[in-house]
Formats: sequence, C-alpha cells, structure tokens
Amino acid sequence: MTPTSDGSPDLTNLEGLGDFDIRWGWNTGRLDPGTTTVLRVKNEARSMPWVLPPMLAATQQVVLVDNASTDATADAAREVAARHGAQDRLTIVGYPFQVSRCGPEHLATPERSVHSLAYYYNWAFSQVRTAYSLKWDGDMVLTAEGVAVLDSLGWQVQSTEAIIAIPRHPLFVADDRVAYLDLGWRNMEFYGYPMNAAHTFVKAFEWEMRVMRDDDRIIRAPEGLAVELKYLDADEISHWTSPDAFATSPRTGRKRREWEVFSALKEGRENELERVVRIESPDGMHVIDHVTRRWLPGADRPLVKADIPRGRRPLGAAQHVLGPNS
Amino acid sequence: MLSGALQQLGLHVPAPEVPPDDSNPKGFAESQWVVDFHDELLRRTAVHVSDARPQAWFETAKISLKERPRIRLHSWLERQFGEADELLIKDPRLAWFMSMWRAAAIQSAAEPAFVTMLRPPAEVVRSKERHYAGRLGNAGRATAWLNMMLHTERATRGSERVFLRYHDLLDDWTSAIYQLGDAFGLQGVLNADIPDISRVHDFIDPSLHRSGGSWDDLDVPTGVRELAEETWQQLNKLVDDRGGATDATDALDELRTAYITLYADAEAIARSSIMAERLNQTLRADRAIATAAPDAPVQALVPTAAEAVTAQPPAARTQAHRRRPAASPADRLAGLIPHGLRAAVPSGIRRRLRALLDRRPRKR
Repeated sequence: MTPTSDGSPDLTNLEGLGDFDIRWGWNTGRLDPGTTTVLRVKNEARSMPWVLPPMLAATQQVVLVDNASTDATADAAREVAARHGAQDRLTIVGYPFQVSRCGPEHLATPERSVHSLAYYYNWAFSQVRTAYSLKWDGDMVLTAEGVAVLDSLGWQVQSTEAIIAIPRHPLFVADDRVAYLDLGWRNMEFYGYPMNAAHTFVKAFEWEMRVMRDDDRIIRAPEGLAVELKYLDADEISHWTSPDAFATSPRTGRKRREWEVFSALKEGRENELERVVRIESPDGMHVIDHVTRRWLPGADRPLVKADIPRGRRPLGAAQHVLGPNS
Repeated sequence: MLSGALQQLGLHVPAPEVPPDDSNPKGFAESQWVVDFHDELLRRTAVHVSDARPQAWFETAKISLKERPRIRLHSWLERQFGEADELLIKDPRLAWFMSMWRAAAIQSAAEPAFVTMLRPPAEVVRSKERHYAGRLGNAGRATAWLNMMLHTERATRGSERVFLRYHDLLDDWTSAIYQLGDAFGLQGVLNADIPDISRVHDFIDPSLHRSGGSWDDLDVPTGVRELAEETWQQLNKLVDDRGGATDATDALDELRTAYITLYADAEAIARSSIMAERLNQTLRADRAIATAAPDAPVQALVPTAAEAVTAQPPAARTQAHRRRPAASPADRLAGLIPHGLRAAVPSGIRRRLRALLDRRPRKR
C-alpha cells in the first residue's frame, strides 16, 4: 500500500460506503510512541469489568470497536474506564455491519466487503495512532503478571519491529465462584504488531490473518499471562457457522478442543477431562479476579505440561498452535 | 553507597554477597547470585552492561520472557523471602531485566519498589573514564548513560519508585534516606535507632566521589550532550515529585524517541565503518590461522582475500582463488559473526557446532 498525500482512502469497500473507507494512521501523520489495544466486541458487556482495566494499565490507548452490540457493551466500557480515571484513553467507535462468521460463511465473503472479517479488522486497526497495536478480544483477560509484561514490552520493542506472541488459556466460568482452567492445550497466538503497511489483515480460509514477513522478529511471552473467558451459561460458538466448520483442518484444532471441553463441562462430564483444573475462589472474590490476580501468578511453571500420548487425544492432548486468531 | 547505607539500617541483602575489593573495601551490598544470574543472561544475549544500543532492550526482553530464567528467578526469590520480608537487591545490571523482576515479585505476592540514583551525566562519563579502561570512548559512555537512564525511567513507571540525587545523598544522607524510607514504608529506616544511624554516618564519606559535572574537555558530540543535559533536567523533576511528574515523563518519552532516532541515524551513517571492521576481523582471523599453522599445505599457498586483491596481478589473483579450498559451512557462518561474539561462545560448544555444520550429507 502506498502513502496517499491527497487524502484519498487507502482501502475502499465493495459496498461504496465512504464513511467506512480505510485511511491508515501512518499515511495521515506521525504515529505516537506506545501501544493501542484494539478490542473488537459484540455483546461483551458482562466481561468489560475484567477485560478493560488490565488493558488500560498495560497500554497507552484502547480502541473499542462495537459491532452492533445489543447489550450496551459500549456503555459498560465507558463506565469501567471512568471508574479507573481513564476516559481520555478509551475511544469507542461503532461498526454496524453484520460480519461473516468464521468458517464457510467467511470463505464465501469477498475480502473487500464490509461484511468480511479482514475488512472489519483493517477498518478497526485504521483507528490506531500509535506505533504498535495489540489485537485483543472482548473476552480475554490479562493477568497481573500479564500487565507487567505487556507494559514493559510497550517500550522494549520501541526500537525494533517485532511481533508479540502471547499464550492464552481458556477459562470456563461456571458461576461467580467456580471456573475451569484448561491447561491441556498450548495456544500461542500473535497479538502485538508494529503499525505499518507490511502488517495489515488479509483473508485466510477460516478467518482473517495479519500479514507477516519472513524477516519479522518474534518475541514470545511465557504462559500464564492471559485467559479467554468462556461462560458455561452462554453460546460460545455463535461466531462460527457451525461446529462442523471447525472439525476440518489442523488449523482449527484449538476450536475443537474448546468445543469438547465446553460440551463436557456443560454435560457434567468434567471427570473425563485431563489437565482441566477446577478453581474455586475465596469468599467475597469473583473467580475471574481470583484466577487472574492470585491463582495464575502463583501457579507452578510450566503451566502446560508435556504432551499426553497420542492415542489419548484429543481431550487431554497438549498441542502447540501458533497461528491466526479467530 | 545507598544500598550499603540501607543495609546498615537493617535491610536484608541476600547472601552470599560479592566480596569487597580494593575499589570498594566497604563492600558492594550486591548478592553474588543476582550478579552471576544477570551476567549469564547478558552474555547469552550479547548485551554488555553499558550497552548504548536501544535495541539491546529488545534482546534482554526476549530472554526475560523465557520460562527457564523466570522459573529460576522466582524460585530464588521465594527462598529469600523465607529469610526476610523486605529484600534489598542491588546490581547495576538489574535494569536490563526489570520486567522479569517485576513479574517474579508478582508471582511471590511481593510489591517491588525501585530506587534510581541520579548523577550528572558528565560526571558519570568522567568517573567511568577514570575507573574503567575500554574501547567505548566518552561519546559511547554518554550514550550508554542516556540509553540506561531513559529506559530505566520508563521501566519503573507504574511501580513504587523514588529518584535520588547522588549529591543529595552525599550532602545530607539523613534527609535523602528518610524520604526514601517514608515513601516505601521501610521499617528499618523509620525505626532506626542511635547505633543504626551512627553506623551509616561512619559508612558514608561525603568527601568522596565528586568528579565535576562539566562537559568541558570531554569528547562528546554536541547532539549527545544536549540530549543528555535535557534528560538530566527532566529526571531531576522526578526527584521532587516522587517519580510522578507527568510533564517530565511526557518529555522523557520525547527524549527517548529522539535518542532512538539519533542512534538509528548514527548506525546508518556508520555502516561503512561497521563493514570495514568486519572485514578487518576476518582478515585478522585469517592471518591468525596462517600464523598458527605455517606448514599447512594448502592454506600456506593461498593469500588472504585482501592480499590477493592488493598484491597479485589479475591472472594470478584468479589462480589464487581457484587454489583456495572452498570454505566450509562453519567457516562461512563464522565469518558472518563478529569475533567478540564468537569468542564469547565456549570452545567446546564452538567445536560441536562446527562439527554439526560441517557434517556432510550421507550418500543414499
């Protein structure tokens, strides 16, 4: 992509919606030092009290892209930021289009459509005005240790162009006091990227992906810094076309694992699960706070142990997945 | 000096300590394990304690995120908390691994608090010039100070922190250390009794260590001096505001960016010098091999690349290159790595790597 000096957009959409053309920050002025978290959310109001504060602590700016939520996610985010005195570091923008779900629906959607995951992500990241950006999900919670690590990385990568990979662990929340942490699957994904034309989003098979170069330097964070919330009382696969859609390729192994653990917990078969830890919080403390502030920082390392023999997969298998997010 | 004084007031320095020597007969108040740990990690990342490269922070960040060193540090810290509730950790190398220490403290449910001593940059450069020989030069010493101070300041944001002027400590240590103890709630300072305070008076010698803060006669480029002076002014604001002066931290962000840009420009300009130095290193290595094995049948017949270029007529040059044996994969790789870095790898490991690289594929 080449810089434009006449103010014309860097990327237009097939629908001809000029308000949602894309103009990259690096073409419109100097990018400030620091990192912006980009949170793309749809109906994540209940998670905002846990998701947002650590990101406000670890990065300089947060851009929350609300994709037509019906549960007042944006209001919840505003309220949380105000409680932490960080209103001026939270930007909320709306993206009103129905975005294709991962899997076959995504595959059938043209990349330059406003309904495409790739276009949606590019538009979301075009809001960033700092030198680095961090892709973050509306259900991912950084631990206390994770805040320290990401805050440090924000300046440690300033003199170089590096991609930051962070492992995350699914946390299946049963209620305010009980949750199940899946330590049976090693899941490392790329979250932090320098903001430049070499690292934009393109369409891949099941979902979008952010482009990498062969000579990109990668820095990998250790385990135990982030959890991904999965509420057992919610439909956690609604962003997929169907469960069958992620039963097809090695790239979707993580989703299969999530589905299997989720189903087993919903059906009361938790004793069938290996390396899924039941955690109960002390009186007066929510289990998500307990896991992210105390349990995980204090847990013995390494968290995800060696692979289970192949014949016993997939329920207990520890796998290493390093690839695009869904 | 500060850590020694705090130790006199009862703060626990994990044992064993680095033994005193002639340069510091009163002791360093540094834990040997910490120094060795940091030394090892710096060696593994090819970063030296006075590294002026902004990118060196990325290199130490990478190793700081590896599981094994994190586990080692956390285990050691846990053992030390078995000895005392408040620990005093001092090492000039610590700044390179601050993020790992912060994480280890969180894992141990401890609250890290950081003290940064401030000393005028020109004085630091003079002091290092006097005490440490080396190839860094005064421009390198000044940029090392900038790199260290700008990034240390950034690294300690968000934690409890205090900036102390070295000269304030010399002028009136009671005021400086009481403020520090008050800020961190250090019981040893707040509850110090007469013998404790007397010991610190004996320990601190206010007549020592004044080198003068003038840049006169120091061979440091103007741009570097100006950056260092501006950084010094901004850091001083943090002394009076317990590290929280927002206008100062904003200004220091700008200065850090300016330093990174300055360094990148200098590297870009100096690229020819860097290439020449690499070629010289290869040349010296070739000569060393030739000197070490004068009877080697093939090597002895072959001029080095530089000699071939300067001393041989074109036809002979071609012949010489034909007669030179093809470099092995290990030789080719070794030629790309600076000598200093190669020398840092233990010889046993170098031999094994060479053997691996030179292993020929088996015929099928």
